[in-house]
Amino acid sequence: MIRTSFRRAALTAVACLAVVASVTIAADAPKSSTVTTGLDNPSGIVVHPGGDLFVASHAGVHRLSGGKLHPEVGEFKTDIYGKGPMYNISPLGVALLGDDHLIVGDGSLKDAEELVRIYKIGPKALEKPVSADSAAVKLGPIGASPESAKGEGNFYGIAVSKSAIYVTSNGDDTKGWILRSELKDGKPGELKPFIATKPLVNVDAPVAITLNHEGQIVVGQMGEMNVVGDSLLCTYDTNGKLVSSLKTGLSDIAGLAYSPKTKSLYAVDYSWAAPKEGGLFKLEIAEGAVKATKVASLDKPTALAFDKMGNLYVTVFGTVVDGGKPTGSIVKFDAGL
Amino acid sequence: MQFRKLMTRQAIPSAKLFAVVSFSVGLCGLTLNADDAKPASKPETKAEKIEKANLKKEVTKFLLKIPLGIPEIEHPKDNELTQEKIDLGKQLYFDKRLSSDNSVSCASCHDPAKGWSNGEAVATGVGGQKGGRSSPTIINSAFQKLTFWDGRAANLEEQALGPIQNPIEMNLSLDEAVKRLNGIPGYKKQFRAVFGTEVTKETLAKAIAAYERTAISGDAPYDRFQAGDKKALSEAAQRGLALFNGKAHCSACHSGPNFTDHAFHNLGVGIDKPMPDLGREVISKLEGDRGAFKTPTLREIARTAPYMHDGSEATLEAVVAYYNKGGTANPQLDEEIFPLDLTKEEAADLVTFMKEGLSSESYPDHKPPKLPE
Repeated sequence: MIRTSFRRAALTAVACLAVVASVTIAADAPKSSTVTTGLDNPSGIVVHPGGDLFVASHAGVHRLSGGKLHPEVGEFKTDIYGKGPMYNISPLGVALLGDDHLIVGDGSLKDAEELVRIYKIGPKALEKPVSADSAAVKLGPIGASPESAKGEGNFYGIAVSKSAIYVTSNGDDTKGWILRSELKDGKPGELKPFIATKPLVNVDAPVAITLNHEGQIVVGQMGEMNVVGDSLLCTYDTNGKLVSSLKTGLSDIAGLAYSPKTKSLYAVDYSWAAPKEGGLFKLEIAEGAVKATKVASLDKPTALAFDKMGNLYVTVFGTVVDGGKPTGSIVKFDAGL
Repeated sequence: MQFRKLMTRQAIPSAKLFAVVSFSVGLCGLTLNADDAKPASKPETKAEKIEKANLKKEVTKFLLKIPLGIPEIEHPKDNELTQEKIDLGKQLYFDKRLSSDNSVSCASCHDPAKGWSNGEAVATGVGGQKGGRSSPTIINSAFQKLTFWDGRAANLEEQALGPIQNPIEMNLSLDEAVKRLNGIPGYKKQFRAVFGTEVTKETLAKAIAAYERTAISGDAPYDRFQAGDKKALSEAAQRGLALFNGKAHCSACHSGPNFTDHAFHNLGVGIDKPMPDLGREVISKLEGDRGAFKTPTLREIARTAPYMHDGSEATLEAVVAYYNKGGTANPQLDEEIFPLDLTKEEAADLVTFMKEGLSSESYPDHKPPKLPE
């Protein structure tokens, strides 16, 4: 990753209903549509119980409300990810703490400097975005120490239980930390290294994270970007003990989510080295193995979230051609998954 | 060595190599040497011969002896190991007749006596031609996901045929190689016995790959230390191990039981040359892979000098010094490469761990076999 911090470009995301992005859908998949496009490298998404979407991209955090994108949090710095192609990245993961706070994982600074920020959110979209630094609560940073040679950063995924906030971190790749902030009376405590995943599963990069119906922590270990098929689906208990580590055959699991209707688990595979293989997958676990079934081909998907009705929203980078306009989008799959 | 699992149709990498157990004669559970399985001196009837042949074909079983610290080998379903196949592959591996001028074999560049490499900076082919990259060790290549420094071959079967055809390595067309082998009665007979056909490109590749999968190293002091023997590593090596997994950041890439993540990384080695080797990018066509090469295993690393993909570092001490300075800057330099600030003592401990901790007493020191005529 090449790191170059500079002030972000202007907010560029635009709402564009019913524009079709580069999507190939399986014949038996639910109906899909592109609900917005023109996003600049969208990397995180969460659905508010009221129905609004919050999406993180290079342009900051936007709120999709009433079919229109509203900037919610801006003025993040920028880091550049990748060595070719290269991507401008600012915030990464988003999650809700209750229905009135938004948790945002940073990806815009150097390791050992990045923060997990928590913002108060209202029932309606803001008329004017707040700045990144205006967070009500800041967790971190986690600097260099014997536990983390470089310090931690790149907070891709966030999962919230009644007792803790869990954050996937990609700082020290000898450890592959999942971080934890314990919640006491709803208030987050210090963000600390919790599970060193790499020594347990021998694969890099915990990125995707969700909680299963037993409250266990389910993590997609993304693995190496230029190795295909090395992503793992790992489950840890709330004490940090590895419950299972299963090969998936997927290359770069970037997001995980359970359907509230069918209880099925879904993953998005970014698939850096073989983009045509990427997309949305249903993951079924039986007899100690994962069966990954492709639901739809998507051009570099990064995150996914269900609403309470079972509609699924997926953020997709897309492919920018010759320095053109951002091509990121949100693809909606109607309830049925 | 530790027996971890008894499996059907697998192999035993050990000094005596592979034991054949024929359930048909009631020897299940016993370990026999190949010589022990020879027929009795009493002449067999024709019916007995047919019955024995059929039984051998259907129920020949193998015990897999996996050294401590090493996972099970996932053999290709279409290239399971048999004793006869391994014997054949070993002969082919050491046979210089697979080069255009009968001067170079697989073992010339991947010599068991030299860490299954060649002790030189780069490979040397027919006519003394020099390649551009060092000869990677065959040790534990059974676990590789992609082969060659740039990962251009998907498996050992694909890899095995590459050097034979390469003009600066063995320089022999596959058609000519097949023709030569079919002209050697000893080979022709063995291929028929093992594969049921004459020599083909496919069976040639399978035999060599099957043999290469028997070059396994494990049960090193590191493995015994991890298994609970706290005296298996010296104090210096223990300090080195802690550095390996911490400050020195080695395990960011050299991870898992085979000390590799199977990925490709740009360390900046040779990137400042006028015409640098672009490595993985040539295969993947992705700019992010520019100058990236496959992470090699560190098993038996003390035997495989010189180091790096171009053999540019003569010693492990020099390798550690290279990493300690943060590699060579370039736009694709891996994010795991940065100045480590190791002291002289720490660098020495790190080298001690690699030399002492990853060298096994049960190193697969295979000797050249008698070749068929």
